[in-house]
Amino acid sequence: MLETRNLDKSFGAIHVTRDVSLKLERGERRVILGPNGAGKTTLFNQLTGEIAPSSGRIILDGADVTALPVAQRARAGLSRSYQKNTLFDGLSVADNLGLAAMVAQGRGMGLGRDGLLHPEVRETVEEVAAQLRLSDHLDARVSEISYGMRRQLEVGVALATRPKVILMDEPTSGVGPEMAKGFHDLLAALPRDLTLLIIEHDIDLAFAVADTITVLNYGEVVFDGLPEAARGSSLLKEIYLGSWEDA
Amino acid sequence: MFRHTPLRVAALALLAVAGIGYAFGASYFGLEILTEIAILAILVLALDMVAGFGGMVSLAHGALAGVGAYGYAMLQAQAGVAPPIALLGAIGLTGALAWAIGAVCARSHGIYFIMATLAFGQMAYSYIFETPVFGGDDGLGGISRLDLSVLGLDLMDSRNFALFCLAMVALAYAACAFVLRSGLGRSLSGVHESEQRMRALGLTVWRVKAHVFGLSGMIAGLSGALAAQHIMYVSPGLLSWTVSGEALVVVILGGLGTLVGPLVGAAFFVVLKHEVGAITPYWHLVTGLVLIAVVMSRANGIFGALEAWVGRRRAARQPQPLAKEVPGNA
Repeated sequence: MLETRNLDKSFGAIHVTRDVSLKLERGERRVILGPNGAGKTTLFNQLTGEIAPSSGRIILDGADVTALPVAQRARAGLSRSYQKNTLFDGLSVADNLGLAAMVAQGRGMGLGRDGLLHPEVRETVEEVAAQLRLSDHLDARVSEISYGMRRQLEVGVALATRPKVILMDEPTSGVGPEMAKGFHDLLAALPRDLTLLIIEHDIDLAFAVADTITVLNYGEVVFDGLPEAARGSSLLKEIYLGSWEDA
Repeated sequence: MFRHTPLRVAALALLAVAGIGYAFGASYFGLEILTEIAILAILVLALDMVAGFGGMVSLAHGALAGVGAYGYAMLQAQAGVAPPIALLGAIGLTGALAWAIGAVCARSHGIYFIMATLAFGQMAYSYIFETPVFGGDDGLGGISRLDLSVLGLDLMDSRNFALFCLAMVALAYAACAFVLRSGLGRSLSGVHESEQRMRALGLTVWRVKAHVFGLSGMIAGLSGALAAQHIMYVSPGLLSWTVSGEALVVVILGGLGTLVGPLVGAAFFVVLKHEVGAITPYWHLVTGLVLIAVVMSRANGIFGALEAWVGRRRAARQPQPLAKEVPGNA
């Protein structure tokens, strides 16, 4: 579904990602681990087109999308959420989801009826809100809901485009452990045909969600495999200083 | 995100009643002021659509109105085209030019967008000023108003022309509201809130900006074509950047991003200009003081302040539920 081949990004002499090759199958849930500065978000930015790779290729659903701009990749089925919320703060929860659905359904350029009131848009809004347990807050402005809800909405906006692949950049960033666990239960309940690539710092939560785990360190893939294998990796323990001994 | 609230509908109704009522009771001088308000109101509606809802603060809109005025003058007075066709031609020409300006400027933001639009405006001003066919500094005369005799209306009559201009304000408002409520308009609001996110959702952002800028330009062109018919004469001063600056002042005075506020701002600005101007030539000082007071008060203009006040009163009457975070329903 999503593949990178020898993806390399350097800023001058500094290699931020180096020769990254990944292959995600349809419906796979892969978690990317790595310390700060490992190149995780830079990898995401290359996948979505926000940063052009120095070399290498990105394949989405069998098509080479390396040269495509951000919007075209999104229309091809690649959606993402951000580490820092990029919500439409002045709008309601429903309008946030509605804008995403409206654009994804090709109604974002038309004149005529209100794009947010189209039945298909409304249907998507209600479905996604139900999936993320936001149905009771549809009319609330983003500024009126809790931080945890905003993180859920951040993922919801990506989900409302009905993508093939969602890249989630630390979806539980800044929320407490209890809430993060609830959040991951929500992710686990998403349709199994949806491919998820998730950057996560919390090791326990990563193992709870992941089908496969990739570890980046200094821009290089140092581990790529099943969670069970990751638990026994001495290299990973070295990188994380044993922080998942209890996982 | 544009929506009609009860307050906005009430304000629109009040403005309509006041405008029409005044048109039937005013003297010649009063009708001239009313027409001036209506023409300015159309221009500031166009500006509010891009600046208030899209964050595209334009200093080209005065020039766009000027292009509409010259377009009408050239087609009707110079080429002998029938006035209705000349009007549509002027609007179309201005829209096309505005679309091109919007497409070029779409990738710039903030002060850079303002400067780019200013540059386009000044280029249009210089071109009109320096090109002999446009009459240079002398401008062009011999412009006729639309002939609505089939409807029993003589637009050479000041009252009829003022009422016609008010009808055009209503049409321009309806067009702006129509665009802002469409998918294109909703996308524009999204771009204003987070351009990065809209792009990541699959939107080609520059196209949205260019399309809305083009539609806004058409409305500015209508304003200019009416101005040309009003004074039956056009001069390069119509394209001056100060016209754009005044329009921006009016939008801010009235309430940026409210669509109703700029109508209030236009009436306030023109009345202030004439009333204070009758007392002192330093009326700009008074306007400046009012603008500073509005900006310093952090209110979104006159109408924005009214909306905020009504909102606070409504909120004070309703008990606020406490937000509660629970796992899984964070």
